[in-house]
Amino acid sequence: MKKALVLLGCPEAPSQTPLAIYATYKLNSLGFDVTITANPAASKLLKISDPENKYISNIVDLDRCLNELNEGEFDLLLGFIHKEAAASFFVTFYQILQIKSIAIVFEKDEDLVEEYANIISDSTDAEVLAVKAFHNPNPVKVKLDKALEKI
Amino acid sequence: MSFCLETYLQQSDDYEVLINKAGFKDCARLIRFKADEVIYVKPGEVILGVRIIGVPPIPIGIIENEKKLLIPYTKPCHGTSVVELPIDKKEIDNIRKLAI
Repeated sequence: MKKALVLLGCPEAPSQTPLAIYATYKLNSLGFDVTITANPAASKLLKISDPENKYISNIVDLDRCLNELNEGEFDLLLGFIHKEAAASFFVTFYQILQIKSIAIVFEKDEDLVEEYANIISDSTDAEVLAVKAFHNPNPVKVKLDKALEKI
Repeated sequence: MSFCLETYLQQSDDYEVLINKAGFKDCARLIRFKADEVIYVKPGEVILGVRIIGVPPIPIGIIENEKKLLIPYTKPCHGTSVVELPIDKKEIDNIRKLAI
């Protein structure tokens, strides 16, 4: 079975948690075994949103995941980026894993969307899905659906 | 037991946070400005027991006569900081081996 790693950023953006669950559902449908890595705050939101683990079965602490990560350990990296720190984390995970990667860059400020997208494009070969979004997950969902159709 | 930066920052008080909750570029600029020697490493390299997070090339600053290291430290909700902490000669040599 193919393995996907979903990398979450700071949970400040309201759409991140539902999108992470949706992305996990989609990736499971495509035959991926999905691991989500997140900090404790983002993990807590996920666990409360999916109390019976209907969608999410594997959440790993971000620091632990990063420290134990090896090249090629997963087949796909999918990252949520709505802060500069998340872009740094994504680039770091990409550099270690060296696998097909998709970066979802979303923010309410268009200039920041462009800035974060450029950081990732300049440092990786990841597919970058950049969109102005914050509360409303639909603009991201539309781009994510299209990207996953090509996998 | 090997050195771990994360544990060190929780249990010590002989380090200084030079800039906090900043962008990576500002932190990289500060390291280049303050350090006598700058070593550039790849993201994900292990330094002082933790993987270094950032955009390549990541600067690591050394002030050898003061035996101090300047290192970027990133957390998802708090951005990037620059931490100045004491370091021994052996560890400086280990970091130099990681230079790109």
